[in-house]
Amino acid sequence: MKTSLRKLALLCAAAALAVIPTAACSNDDSDASSSGSKTLEIAYWNYGPAAESGNKATADAFMAAHPGTTVTLTPVTGENWGTYYANVATLIASGKHPDLMVISGEGAQFVHANNLVLPINKYLDKDADAKTLTGDIAKGLIDGFTVKGDIVTLTWGWNDMVVYYNTAVFSKAGVEPPRPDWTWADFEATAKKLTKDTNGDGKNDQYGFTWASNEIFPGIMPWVANAGGNLTSDDVCSATADTPQVNKAVSFLENLIKEGVSPAPMPMSDVFTRFQNGQIAMFGAGRWPIATFLPKFKDFDIQLYPKGDTYKTVFGGAGYPILKSSKNPDLAWEYQKFTVSTDIQKQYVGTPEKPGDSIPSRRSLAQTISKVGVPPANSDLFYDSIDKYPTLVPYPAPAKYSAFESTVLRHLQLIFAGEKSVADGLKDMQGELSSIVTC
Amino acid sequence: MKETEVPPALRRGAPRRRRKDGLAALGFLSPAIVTFLVFVLAPTAGVLYLSFYDWNLLSDGTFVGLDNFDHLVHDDRLLGVYGSTAYMALVILAVNVVFGLLLAVLLETRMPRWLRGIFRLSYLFPFVVSAAAVALIWRFLLNKDLGLVNYVLGLAGLDRIDWLGSSAFAPVSVIVVNSWKTIGFSILVYIAGLQAIPGELKEAAVVDGAGPWTRFWRITFPMLSPTIFFLIVINTINSFQIFAEPRVLTQGGPGDASRTIVEYLYDRAFGDFDLGYASAIGITFMLVLIVLTAIQFRLSRRWTFYE
Repeated sequence: MKTSLRKLALLCAAAALAVIPTAACSNDDSDASSSGSKTLEIAYWNYGPAAESGNKATADAFMAAHPGTTVTLTPVTGENWGTYYANVATLIASGKHPDLMVISGEGAQFVHANNLVLPINKYLDKDADAKTLTGDIAKGLIDGFTVKGDIVTLTWGWNDMVVYYNTAVFSKAGVEPPRPDWTWADFEATAKKLTKDTNGDGKNDQYGFTWASNEIFPGIMPWVANAGGNLTSDDVCSATADTPQVNKAVSFLENLIKEGVSPAPMPMSDVFTRFQNGQIAMFGAGRWPIATFLPKFKDFDIQLYPKGDTYKTVFGGAGYPILKSSKNPDLAWEYQKFTVSTDIQKQYVGTPEKPGDSIPSRRSLAQTISKVGVPPANSDLFYDSIDKYPTLVPYPAPAKYSAFESTVLRHLQLIFAGEKSVADGLKDMQGELSSIVTC
Repeated sequence: MKETEVPPALRRGAPRRRRKDGLAALGFLSPAIVTFLVFVLAPTAGVLYLSFYDWNLLSDGTFVGLDNFDHLVHDDRLLGVYGSTAYMALVILAVNVVFGLLLAVLLETRMPRWLRGIFRLSYLFPFVVSAAAVALIWRFLLNKDLGLVNYVLGLAGLDRIDWLGSSAFAPVSVIVVNSWKTIGFSILVYIAGLQAIPGELKEAAVVDGAGPWTRFWRITFPMLSPTIFFLIVINTINSFQIFAEPRVLTQGGPGDASRTIVEYLYDRAFGDFDLGYASAIGITFMLVLIVLTAIQFRLSRRWTFYE
């Protein structure tokens, strides 16, 4: 298909299929990056004010450190990473050519499979500064962005899955805070103690634990990993959703609902609210809830997920890969490197009033979180979880991640609603995933 | 010269005037024509074009002929999604057309002006609020274990209902939330229709001894039939295209129980990056709506009354 025709078709189709404000449907190639001057255009996921202010602060600092350079930020909307990628793809197809785009670990396969990114291996080999910086970054965070030997990007921030617990609810119920070596049985017993009918109407209105129904990362993945399973093979080329390990994890969660220890699953944003008002005693997430909780809500701490047949830290990072279409790849590399510089990493540490919403990728900076007094008290656990414990590698993120995740979630809905048995639900899930997870 | 003949001077001026009137009409119509061409016809042509291609937004598209349309026939989920869409759309349509009329008639009965204002505002307000915001609030209210709706049902001694998580009730929740949001528009249009009915017709019927029921069926309903027909057409199209409510409330689930075609199409396009197949779904869905609308127009001749 001729490019101009494709663009014309896209112009028309984008208007009809979806309303994506960020998709500038034009053939305008006169953007900043094409001028050959010291300009950079960066696309990022605008999930909220924190994303806007964080990206602006980094861009402003980069321009101050590199006089004469202009950085243009392009905020891209999206209800999750998957739709953000789709919207960036629409942006690119409509003629925009960002030099860098923010991606998460789930997007590494996607951008690599679509030949969008310039691997940074050669920069890492010849840049002395980079060697120093990467020495301060956990190996897992480099591996998480390596696809077929190509390092897609440096990671500026990341999240591991930990259990958040409401310290006030624990204290009121006379329950001891969880220990790092707790097991699934300990977890279940703790959750049961925290499940209560607080208003005396004969029905529970405070629950021990819940998980996000709209994402698998903070949803089932920590349980699947700790049961010793994964949703894809190690090469992320085939689905493994109907294994005994996955069955064990999903059955455990289903049983929590059946026993009334967990409410019907709800989206993550609802979990945040229910957790803060004490209706949910524990839930799982990365570091990002802290930006929502603080500075008003401080009655929380974190612990590792309980150990099942094994323990593995489930984590994912984010970075600014250089796009192949960049007119200034060397400058783009400088920007990427700048995002892991000390000053910028300090922003991700944050302050008790304005904490970062990810864990800084550099160990030396991440370990200052507790020192500067950013809650929770157990913050050192964030980096320890990747340094001191085995990790789930690879994270199951096939190139068609959005289709993969939505398929998994759709089948889980039926299982957790009690409309399909775990075995039947996972069998159907596996059948459908077999055509989505391919190489 | 006969009285009926047009004066020669006027005859000579007629074509010029017609041309002038035509140009004026075109001038007035041009914004609508341009808008239609740019935002309706051109996108539709673009979608039709894409439906013959395999394209993921980033790669070069490949012409695949009718493969995407062939895929429609072999898609295991599509028929189910059409079924859930039709179920929700038809109930929403019925609620809007029937309850909307009932509420509009009630609002037109005698009551203090301030009370009428409060009622009208209450019904219309949800219509002007963002569908996503409405759905977010309802999601909180309808939560099975922590929502206000089940708490109130519990006070009445009833069991908790899984409004958002069960295949039986998830579509019902979408219907309730969408109807709650959209019925204000139907009421507004009905009220305008009711107020346009000449008062002397009703007065004459009263003089003739017709009761309220007879007056409604013999006067109000026939006079309101063009309004009812308009609302049936508009609500059919709108209710088949709902997206935000199932997306926010239930994510289309469980399974596909509350998924709509528009949501399914969106996921194929911007989840699977299968623009060609999504376009094929869009084209066939448009044809379904055109056929439905054509049937409605055809049938309307039997029951609509125009003065």
